[in-house]
Formats: sequence, structure tokens, C-alpha cells
Amino acid sequence: MKNVDRIIVHMDLDTFFVSVERLIDSRLKNKPVLVGGTSERGVVASCSYETRKMGVSSGMSMKMAKQLCPEAIVVRGDSAKYSYYSKIISEMVKEQVPLFEKTSIDEFYVDLSGMDHFFGSYKLASELRTKIIRETSLPISFGMSINKTVAKIATGEAKPNNQIDVKKGQEKTFIAPMLVQKIPMIGEKTAYNLNRMGVKYIKTLQEMPMKMMENAFGKQGIVMWQKANAIDNSPVVPHYERKSISTERTFERDSIDVKMIKNQLRAMVEQLCFELRRGDKLTSCVTVKIRYADFQTYSKQKYIPYSASDHTLTQYVMDIFDKLFERRLLIRLVGVRMSHLVGGGHQINMFEDSVELLKLYQAMDKMKIRFGQHKLQRASSLHTMSLSRSNPFSGEPPSIPAHRRV
Amino acid sequence: MKFVVNSKTLLQNLQTIGGVVVSKPILPILDNFLFGIKEGNLKITATDLETTITTELEVQADGNIHVAIPSKMLMETLRSLPDQPLTLDIDENNFTVEITSETGRYKLNGEPGEDFPKTPSHTADESLQIPAEVLEDSIAKTLFATSNDELRQNLTGVFFEIDENQLNFVATDANRLVRSQRLQIASSSTTSFIVPKKALTQLKSNLTATTGNVQMDYNQNNVFFSFDKVKIISRLIDEKYPDYNAVIPTDNPNKLTIDRSQFLQSVKRIAIYANKTTQQIRLKLAGSEMTLSAEDLDMSNEGTERLSVNYAGADIEIGFNARYLVDMLTNMTTSEVSLELSDPNKAGILLPSEQDENEHLLMLIMPMMLNKG
Repeated sequence: MKNVDRIIVHMDLDTFFVSVERLIDSRLKNKPVLVGGTSERGVVASCSYETRKMGVSSGMSMKMAKQLCPEAIVVRGDSAKYSYYSKIISEMVKEQVPLFEKTSIDEFYVDLSGMDHFFGSYKLASELRTKIIRETSLPISFGMSINKTVAKIATGEAKPNNQIDVKKGQEKTFIAPMLVQKIPMIGEKTAYNLNRMGVKYIKTLQEMPMKMMENAFGKQGIVMWQKANAIDNSPVVPHYERKSISTERTFERDSIDVKMIKNQLRAMVEQLCFELRRGDKLTSCVTVKIRYADFQTYSKQKYIPYSASDHTLTQYVMDIFDKLFERRLLIRLVGVRMSHLVGGGHQINMFEDSVELLKLYQAMDKMKIRFGQHKLQRASSLHTMSLSRSNPFSGEPPSIPAHRRV
Repeated sequence: MKFVVNSKTLLQNLQTIGGVVVSKPILPILDNFLFGIKEGNLKITATDLETTITTELEVQADGNIHVAIPSKMLMETLRSLPDQPLTLDIDENNFTVEITSETGRYKLNGEPGEDFPKTPSHTADESLQIPAEVLEDSIAKTLFATSNDELRQNLTGVFFEIDENQLNFVATDANRLVRSQRLQIASSSTTSFIVPKKALTQLKSNLTATTGNVQMDYNQNNVFFSFDKVKIISRLIDEKYPDYNAVIPTDNPNKLTIDRSQFLQSVKRIAIYANKTTQQIRLKLAGSEMTLSAEDLDMSNEGTERLSVNYAGADIEIGFNARYLVDMLTNMTTSEVSLELSDPNKAGILLPSEQDENEHLLMLIMPMMLNKG
């Protein structure tokens, strides 16, 4: 695959959540719209281009966004709605192309290598885009190039609601004048470090020796250098394999109420365990995350025997939390992650598991699957909030907003 | 001080006890064998402080001495020498050991025997005579089921349970359990203790070469196994063994009888297609047919086998760890076995279809929970 000339298209729905809201309520058209949490602690999940002009960006706190753009209409997001439209579009893409990878709720890569013989790749991609716009009325942009990195950068340039074909051989020149943070893997922090080294534009990065990047950033440096030079052999992978499941929650108000925090953790474990069991999975590594009021974030993990039982994993999570929570400071956020997943059923322990308890889990899971996750809860987790989600093991990527991903 | 010993005899004796020596001991001197010579009797000791083994042999010596000799170098030397008499000359002042063979002289740096940890004194509250082959057999049947979990020390050994009717050997890692009951061995008093896995591994490998009885002495802290010229001393695990009898279900209405090797081979084949980590396989019993199946969703591997079996009971579908089943079936000897089940969430009991009049063997396996089919 590596040596063949590839044609990769990256498609991204413009301000997806906002677009969906506008589709449902046409009054929102051509007005500044913010989608995201409406509470004190809410963040902007998606913002219309009208608000972007005022300096709003996704991931920003809602409070700040409102200060920047007071006339904006704030809509509370509804992930079920977005998933629904996302699915419709996935189905349309699936019908039209040989190979595609959905990387999040609103973007995907399409591999059109070899299609030139039959259709003309650019024409095919353009038709697909027109079709999506015509049938769903949702604006979408795409970038086309020889690999994922350049295609994605191209989409960023094409937006809003447009398309770009980076001609073969032009990849390096195309990205050269851009800022380094346009490269997908380079975030704020890396960009800052690069700028301090005097590297502001991708062109500089291209001209640097690879060795130097390796010395400065290790393995990541090599990848960065390669991406800057338009080298990216990563394939388009059709199926999304969940490597871990996690959940986290920012409190309405920073808290030191350990009882409440522990109940929140309990609810999280309960939810994740249910998801594991529904997906016929077991975990062998649990991680607990704490973010204090000063934004210092700590996490700690523990390897454990394979399990998907609420009581076992709750115990581990509580133990880790007790070890991790050592600063006498208000807590802003807690999170739980379960990783090193493996498919299979729970190995029953003759001394620790009772038949009654196992049967209880089975009955609870059955009820949850039939009537919904929140119809049945532990009393201790009654007053906690948690997002209801779709099955994480369905092969679909997680439907969390783009800015949440690290 | 000098003594003469045959190289092969010495090597054989060292091999008997060498398994105890650990590669990176807490005390550097534990890397050594202790040679104690008293009136022509050589007593060699190896220990890791938990388990101690001693062996004795006659040598021609011109005096008495206690010296610790580096185990690895000595063993390597002996292994590479052809069978011949060796002279070991020990300097009583600085404890250097000089070995003289037909072809050469080798010098090793020994240490004073006084620095070697003292062997626990042999005091017995109780004693029992056990035929060597019985002991070996019961250890072999239970040892594999012990746990490796350092956090559950009590499960890392074999539980010896003695009363006026029988001697029970029990091992479990909380997922499976084996109980070997020896009906012909009994004691006037009731006792129980947990013997660590390592001592039993050593004991088992040394029992193959012996016949007759093994003398088992025990007190609060230690157990002593003596046979021929070998003595194995082990510290007991000072923990409470779980009440295993409570987990053995008594009412198992569904009973499968099957040829042991046929069952074992099927499980082995199906296990190839199971997830490598969980080793989960599925047994489905309906009428007189058993379906064994496994799938690895990540790799898209799948295997199914159907066997005609002798089954009496309700239809049932139950998941097991294939490795556990293989271990158990391998460690049974009868040509037929029976598997007794009650519920997909409850233990399965594996028994020889005919119990020996002197031994009752029971193996228990906890199922894996199966999610929808």
C-alpha cells in the first residue's frame, strides 16, 4: 500500500452541531450561534462562523464566549440528535466509496486510491459532497491529497463549505507557508515550544534536519518532521476499535465534599461497567483523574485482574482516589478510564462473587438495555449527573466534541 | 582439611538440593551450599530462608569443617567434569576451596560455615508416615491449581488437612479447586497447615527417585519431609485457608460422562480459537450432544466441535477458561470423567467416573459469565 500513489479525501462537516441546530430551527440561520454547556462551567462545543469573527473558538468557556459575543444565541447540545445526522451521512458515504474511516462524529477520511481509472477522484469527491449537501442541507468541506495529514490540512483551508484538491507534487509547497499548529498533531503547547525554537512556519520545519527534531522532541519529533514534509503512510482504517472507555465530569462548583465526589465516581464506574458488560469486554487497567481548582491535573492507574464487576472495580477506583487525592484543595473535575480491554466474560471467583450478585448484575443489565441506562441506578449515584451514551463498542468513534480530544 | 568424593555422586546430591537456591538472594551467602563434614559424613544444605533442603553422603575426610561454597561455580565445574574422584582441600583459615581433578586444580572462594543461616531445629508436634508415591501423586494433582497472587498468600500453597479419617490435599486460586482425599492415611489428632508451592515443587521432583515412606513431621511453624538421606524443611504459610467446603456445591443435577482424552483433545483444539487472554470457551449441552465452541472477536477466529456424550440433565450453556479445563483433565488418570453442573453461574465439578478406594479426587472449576449468545 505504501508505494502506491494514494488519493485520500478528508471530509469535515462545518460547525456540525450548529448546522444541525439550524436545520431543526431555521430561525438560527445567519445568526451567531453557540452550542455547548449552558451551565456556569459549560464550554463551547461548536460555534458558528459569525461568532468566530468575534474571537470565539470551540473549547472556550461559555462565559468567555458570551462576553466576546453577547448577542449569540446559546443552544444546549443534544448528542443524540448529532449522532443521528452523523449516521445518515456515514451511510451515504459508505454507499459511494470503497474505503472510509470515521474518525469522529463530524469527520471522516475516504481512500479513493485507484478510482481515477473509473471516475476521476476529484469529480467523485465533489459529487459526494454535493450529494450530502443536497440531501441533508448540512454544509461540508473536503480536502484531497496523497495522505491523511495533507488532506486534513487542506480541509481546514477549504472551510467554510468548500473544497480543495492539492495537486500531486504540490503538497510541500501547499503547506509550507502555514503556521506549524496547522499540522494535526501539533497542539498549543508543542507550537509554543517550536516557536521558542524559532520555528513558526511549516517551511522552517521542512528545512530542519530530522535528527534535530528527534533530539528536541524524541519519537514525536520524527513524526512531526515527516508530517511537515507531507510524509504520512497511515492507512484509512474502516473499523474503529475502542481501546479504552472513559468518562469524566466537571462539577458545577469546585468541591471538596469527598462523599459527593466518591458517589460521582461510583456512578461513573457503574456506567462504564455496564458498557463493558454490554460490549462483552473486561478491563485490566483502571485510571482515576483529578483536576484541582488550580487546573493541576493528576492521574493514577492500576493494573488489575480482568474484571467488569461494579463492586470489584469500584473498590479499585476508591483505593486509587484515596491515594491520588492528597492536596487539600478543591476539586474541579474527576474522571475514570478503563483500558487494556479484552473480549470475554467474567471469570467467576469462588470466594468473592456470590451467585446472587452475579444474577443481580445480569438482571440489571437486561433492564438497562431494555428500558434505558438511567431507569435503574444505585441509590448512591441517584443525584449525580452522567451523560447517557450509545454503545461504545459498536465500531463507531466516540461522539465527543472535537475539543475534548487530547 | 581435605576430603575425597566422587564427582558424579556429589553432583547428583547437589542437584537434589540445588533447586532451592535463588539467583538473586536477599543475603549473598544464600548463593552458596553449606558443606558440613563430621566424622566422614558430608551434609550439604541449601536454603532460601523459606525452604531448606539437606542431603547427606559418606566421604573420606581427614577432619571436620563447616564451609559455604559458591553454588553456581561448583555445579558448573562438576557438570563439565567426567566421572572421577575429586579431592577438595579447604583452607581452615581463609576458607578457600581447592578442587583437584585428574587434569587440573580449581580454586573457589568459600566462606565460613558459621555465616550460613541456621537450619530450623527439627522439633515435631506430630508425625505422619506417607508412602512416597501417594505424596507425589497428590502433590502433582494439586500443585497446578495453586495461586500465584502474592496478595493472597494463603492460596499460594497446598493446604494439608489431617484428621482421624483422612489426609486432604487442597489447592485453589479462587477460580478452580482441587481436593485429593487420601483415605488410608490418618492421624489421631486434627491439624491443618499450608505448605508453600516452592517446597512442594522440590519435594515432588525428589520423590520420583524414591520408594517407601516419607516421614512428615510438623509443628506450628515448619514442616519436615524426610526420606532416604534427604530432608526438606519448609516454613508454613501463616495464614488462614478459606473455607473451601462452602464453595463445593452438593446439588448438581446435570451430569455429563465422557471419555477423558477425547474431552481433553477437543478442549485443546477449540482453545486454539479462543481469545488468547481470556481463553474462554463455551460448552453447550443439549440432549446427548455437547457443542464446544470458542471465538476471538478481535481476530475473527472461530471454532466449533460437536461430541456425542452421555448426558443426563437439563439443557445448559456454560463458559470456562480452557486452560483450567486442560490442566484438570491432564492431571486426572481415569479413562472416563464426569462433569457435574447446576447453573451457568455456579461451579462445575469434575470427577473421575470411578473413585479409587483409597483416594477421592474432586476438581472444581468456576465458570466464566457468558453474555448473550
